[in-house]
Amino acid sequence: MTDPVDPSALLTTDPSRRPGEGSGRGGPPGGPAPSWRKDRILPSSPFYAIVRWGGAGLFAALLIGLVISIVSGSSQAFSHSGMGFLWSGTWNPAGGDYAAGTLLVGTVLTTFVAMVIVVPVGLGVSVSLTELAPKWLAGPLGTVIEFLAAVPSIVVGLWALLVLSPVFAAHVEPFLEGLPLLGHLFHGPAYGPSILLASVVLAIMTLPTVVTLSRSALGGVPLADREAAMALGATHWEVIRRTVLPGARAGIAAAITLAVGRALGESIAVAMVIGNRPAVPHSLLAPGATLGSAIVNQFAESTPGLGTSSVIALAGVLLLLTILVNVFGQVLVRGRDARRAVRVGGVPA
Amino acid sequence: MKEADDVTNLVTDLSPGRVASEARTSAERAAHEPGGGGTAVTLENVSITFGNHVAVRSVTLQLPARQVTALVGPSGCGKTSVLRAINRLHDHMGGVVHGSVRLGDLDIYGPGVQPELLRSRIGMVFQRPNPFPTMNIFDNVVSGLRFNGVHNRRLLREMAEMALHNAALWDIVKDRLHQSALRLSGGQQQRLCIARALAVEPEVLLMDEPCSALDPVATAKIEDLITNLSRDVTIALVTHNMFQAARVSDHAAVFLLGEDRVGELVEVGPTEQVFETPQDPRTRAYVTGHVG
Amino acid sequence: MSAFSSAETALAGAEAGAGAGPDARLAQAARDRRELMRESARRSLGRRRMTGRVMQVICLIALPVGLAPVVALVYTTIANGAGAVNIGFLVHAPTPPGIPGGGISTAIVGSAEIIGIAMAMAIPIGLFIALFLFERRGRIAASIRFSADVMSGVPSIIIGIFAYSVLVETFHHFSNLAAGFAIGVLMLPIMVRADEEAMRTVALELWEAGVSLGARRSRVARSIVLRGALPGVVAGNLLAIARGVGETAPLLFTLASPTFAMTLLIFNDATQPFPAAQQTAWGTALVLLVFVLTLSVAARAVAWALNRKAR
Repeated sequence: MTDPVDPSALLTTDPSRRPGEGSGRGGPPGGPAPSWRKDRILPSSPFYAIVRWGGAGLFAALLIGLVISIVSGSSQAFSHSGMGFLWSGTWNPAGGDYAAGTLLVGTVLTTFVAMVIVVPVGLGVSVSLTELAPKWLAGPLGTVIEFLAAVPSIVVGLWALLVLSPVFAAHVEPFLEGLPLLGHLFHGPAYGPSILLASVVLAIMTLPTVVTLSRSALGGVPLADREAAMALGATHWEVIRRTVLPGARAGIAAAITLAVGRALGESIAVAMVIGNRPAVPHSLLAPGATLGSAIVNQFAESTPGLGTSSVIALAGVLLLLTILVNVFGQVLVRGRDARRAVRVGGVPA
Repeated sequence: MKEADDVTNLVTDLSPGRVASEARTSAERAAHEPGGGGTAVTLENVSITFGNHVAVRSVTLQLPARQVTALVGPSGCGKTSVLRAINRLHDHMGGVVHGSVRLGDLDIYGPGVQPELLRSRIGMVFQRPNPFPTMNIFDNVVSGLRFNGVHNRRLLREMAEMALHNAALWDIVKDRLHQSALRLSGGQQQRLCIARALAVEPEVLLMDEPCSALDPVATAKIEDLITNLSRDVTIALVTHNMFQAARVSDHAAVFLLGEDRVGELVEVGPTEQVFETPQDPRTRAYVTGHVG
Repeated sequence: MSAFSSAETALAGAEAGAGAGPDARLAQAARDRRELMRESARRSLGRRRMTGRVMQVICLIALPVGLAPVVALVYTTIANGAGAVNIGFLVHAPTPPGIPGGGISTAIVGSAEIIGIAMAMAIPIGLFIALFLFERRGRIAASIRFSADVMSGVPSIIIGIFAYSVLVETFHHFSNLAAGFAIGVLMLPIMVRADEEAMRTVALELWEAGVSLGARRSRVARSIVLRGALPGVVAGNLLAIARGVGETAPLLFTLASPTFAMTLLIFNDATQPFPAAQQTAWGTALVLLVFVLTLSVAARAVAWALNRKAR
């Protein structure tokens, strides 16, 4: 689906591990006899250095190439529509309108509703797994949720389209229309594909991200803080609410930011269930369109030249948005690590 | 009362017994008991187990009211386990407490006893200062009050000020109550934790090696505090530092490792007596061995 | 409140200095405050506990809500796809719509080819970059690490467009190469992070020991670090491959026909109104799911064996 669990989380080794057996004599104290002594085939070191630098350089080239190709591919669209392309107008190739405005609205809306769903559920699951459930249960349940991260987005989209959508059309959407106060968000004819369904799909796909990162944030709150609260007479929930959750604030914020980034970029599953109607929706049950879904749906049929260029321009807008959110998230994570270092090291004499 | 040079003078005196008898006179000057003595906490035949492992065995001990009882001995003899049994902190860590622990007449492990209420009567200060990192100084001090249902702002301010006075911290923090608690030095943070515990008006204060992470100056300030606080509050002080016990406590309970590596209470009595004229040969060995 | 005014008196008394009279008042004030606290604690406990229980129930409700989609999804895929998957399904090539007997063999082969190309590109380059990051500490290394992190957040659809610009437009035709390139670019940042992490967990001392004995950097790197990091590298790369196999968006821009890759086939068939097509989609989804699950489990098994050996 989307990025699996951070691989480095799986890779914890005892740092004193020795990779090879030693012949004992002549090795550095505490280490094995170096096996490279047996090597006869040696690439000369300048060659090897070139290979490594080359790898790094290639990576940089990829990055720059990515940006350049998007920029140049979209230049035609921007010269045609100007910078207004970014935030105004609507997307209607048949009628000659190429602009990202309504798509941006759809993107932000689906992401927002997805967060409204996934943040409470994700936090609830995280708190349940770290604080409330017994240990023997929390492990397997956590693994099940992480498995969701490995499911390809196309499979989620397939399921959402063929299974979830009819259920929504038949039961969920009429139910929501009938709700007293919130019902106003949900009106109009409902055929299944809708902003709401797309948001739910995004919520499902970002849930593992939120849960995994929140769990590690919650687990990282030191026992000392919990005991301090307990020793003052706090109930179990008060310990969670006043000590654990605030202590995990930064990690949870990072988790949500990462989830937002993933939600913005998800195109395939959204394209399958959102109904592909680029207009500002009047209800959450109406079909809509996002940047990603428009790219998916329109690319094949776009007229070369202005059409294709405009699709690439949409990709550019999406890239900008994603980079902004990602950088913001990176800053959050690095800020949290810095603050933690101060706290741990910080009890001066 | 005792400043840094006082501490040095005491330390050069070689015997904890001498220290104890000198300190006791000063302590007597400071302490007074308008209501007379009595026993705050009684432990009878208390053993603590973690799964199959026995941490400490058959402890029978009384904490006299409004006095300082020091639990001394080398690490691993069960002093901290005994302390935590008194405010039922073992409930969460899987430790099982056998025997009887009473707060006055109340069996604290009895049915119908609410641990939260118990812990508002028995406060604790931990080895490493642990102010809540996400709260400012004021919120830290009143956190216990808020947990226990006090929300009136004026009352909170009054009680915070009182607690900070009692912890000798008011003058230092009165102008920066809304700064983060982490900006304080280690010794100040520990006094903040003491203030936090005091704000709830406990009857008993459990202190688990409160000075072990601190420098000598901060340690001296907290030892002063302990002596003053025992006017109102019964204090149980775990320490591996016999000189500290000698300086500060009225009674001493010596814990040592038994043959089977299970902690046990070897001797208990007035501090001066335990250190100068110990009854049990093991105590004598410990007290003299420590010095020699 | 009498306890309250006693507190005020107590404060005043403390400031005025101790003596016999004020001492008794102090003690009384202390007892009053204590009684106040006991009363407050006693009265509030019921409400506090009730609030706690309610919140805990709410949190626990989130558990089935969060688990239901996974369970439903896997169950439905198996239920619907099992009917479609048989040997013929896996071995035969697709037939035109309406004609029975078709399979997805071209898609399976195509996906394998694409992933193979992607692996051939990403695995070695990932290792080289990781070695570079492992050895150097400067700002260049930091910025490359940062770029890798940012890049792993770039949506796959944009990488697809990149591959389109570079390979498809230039050579004027879609190709497995372009698709492999896109997936490779996608996997690269993940692999770099995993590889570097695996290398870091190999004892730094071993590395320094080798270098201090006068070995050239290249030889030390190759033998000690690579060999030691191998299990971690394998586990991390397996996860990256699992992700790459499941990608669809980049293939939209680089492949000529949906029958060339499993994910694209699902996308195409799912949106067609023919039940047979949808059946094929479920079957393909099941095959894909089994494959991805196997890779993930294998990755965890390698990591677990790695941790076992370390002890």
